[in-house]
Amino acid sequence: MILKAKPVTRGVVEGEAIVSHMPISFTGGMDPETGIIREPGHDLEGRSVAGKILVFPTGKGSTTGSWQFYAAFKRGHAPKGIINVRVEGVVAVSAIITDTPMVHDLEKDPLECIEDGDLVKIDATHGVVEISKQGT
Amino acid sequence: MELNDQQQKMLEGENGSGVQKAMEILQAYGDCYEAERLIPVTSVHVAGNFPVLMDEGIEWLEELAGDGTKVRVFTTKNPEMFDPEQVDEMEIPTIYQVRQRRIQEALKSLGLVLTYSCHHYLVGNVPRFGDHIAWASSGSQVFANSVIGARSNRDGDHVALAAAIVGAIPEWGLHLPENRKAEILIDVDGLKFEEYEPTDYKALGWHLGKQVGMKIPAFVNLPSDMHIEGIKGLLYTLTVTGATGLVHLVGITPEAPTAEAAFGGAVPGTPDITVSQKDVDEAFYEISSSSAEKVDLVIFGCPQCSIQEVQEIAALLEGKRVHPDTQLWICTSRWVVTLCERMGLLETLRASGARVVSDVGAADGPHLYLKEKGVRVIAVNSARASYYAHNLFGMDTWFGSTGDCVRTAVSGRWEGKRR
Repeated sequence: MILKAKPVTRGVVEGEAIVSHMPISFTGGMDPETGIIREPGHDLEGRSVAGKILVFPTGKGSTTGSWQFYAAFKRGHAPKGIINVRVEGVVAVSAIITDTPMVHDLEKDPLECIEDGDLVKIDATHGVVEISKQGT
Repeated sequence: MELNDQQQKMLEGENGSGVQKAMEILQAYGDCYEAERLIPVTSVHVAGNFPVLMDEGIEWLEELAGDGTKVRVFTTKNPEMFDPEQVDEMEIPTIYQVRQRRIQEALKSLGLVLTYSCHHYLVGNVPRFGDHIAWASSGSQVFANSVIGARSNRDGDHVALAAAIVGAIPEWGLHLPENRKAEILIDVDGLKFEEYEPTDYKALGWHLGKQVGMKIPAFVNLPSDMHIEGIKGLLYTLTVTGATGLVHLVGITPEAPTAEAAFGGAVPGTPDITVSQKDVDEAFYEISSSSAEKVDLVIFGCPQCSIQEVQEIAALLEGKRVHPDTQLWICTSRWVVTLCERMGLLETLRASGARVVSDVGAADGPHLYLKEKGVRVIAVNSARASYYAHNLFGMDTWFGSTGDCVRTAVSGRWEGKRR
């Protein structure tokens, strides 16, 4: 499946998707030492987003989140691409300062089209997302 | 986003790599919010300290400052981890001293004014009504929008620093008058305001923030003589459980002399949200996360204590002694410490066993090393401090009035309300 999207940053990346249906705060919500989501009650609690294509609705919480994302990135524990339903400043800036390919506002709801484990390619430069279902 | 010739040159690196990095951030940020242009900012405030920056954040700052990059706009800095004048008596670990010094050198080189204060509007960073500003620090940002009538989005540090270096910010969100209109009506009629202390306004803010979310609310039927400490209590707490950037306090907010002005036209016939005293009482209990009797530390100053608050604490402590197994900290800015010294307050407070700590706030910085020293249960009069100390550092927290907290410091056990 190929979907049009609005670019937040530039660049192309391909990887395995991890999908959350809840907003994410990088300060307090993600452990920069491991990339594991640590917010109690979060649908990704206890799972690592490191090296994945992270798909979630939007950002929330402290505006210091971009510092925590940057630290996770430098330690190799950040997601390698981001797809949001709707862009939010903290997540956008996190992607901008780490050159992480990121898009939002897809022509179809990414939370319905993408499942955990799907192979997803983000072309943020051209605003295109390519989804290959696992095993097909 | 369109750039003018000068801005285009900044983006191409003609003014150095730090300016180029700042412009790249603003360009991408402006594009994702579909801003049409950059507009000048008059005031910037930067928030992050070591617990969130970590070593990588320090390196990012050092790289930004590396080629002589300077801010073009008056820029102040939020609190740090410890009071640099009390490192020995407070046994601050060397690893933190080294890191704070590196942050300080990078910020100084960038040209920031090192206020180390979150009441920066009391120590010289005062925008005018209608000014475009970039304040990273959700509490003071909502204060600037709602009490002063300056215009700031919920920008993080990277955007705020970039705005300070370029001297401009993408024009979107709360910078545009059409986006500053109230979206929901909150009627607070019926609450027992005649008995309210600032702490009760914090409980009110805690309850309402969850319902407000990112929307712009208009409050009607607040008392017309509401004190600034009550206003701060309400606003700073609304941004803990919610993420609103602007609150119209009808009769107080410069843009909201009337409800019609707040909504820019018709006011909803029935309020979207009403609140009972029972809701506020319930929220009051909910802010506490502890059930322990013994309290290790009573800590004031989130936001940092004003001189009036220090005077109130000193009056409550008069003739009393802080319990030997409990600490009492008053966190504030260096300017307020200077006033305390001049007025003899510092001596009185020290004699009672209290500690006046400069350059830190009660919500985050110090908890990193306090925890290592065995501090587990804390008492605060700030809902914001309770939330962050509990969620970021795992502290057990009690929330109550200033009087409750002072009595707790004296007896060593929690003396305030409990469920």
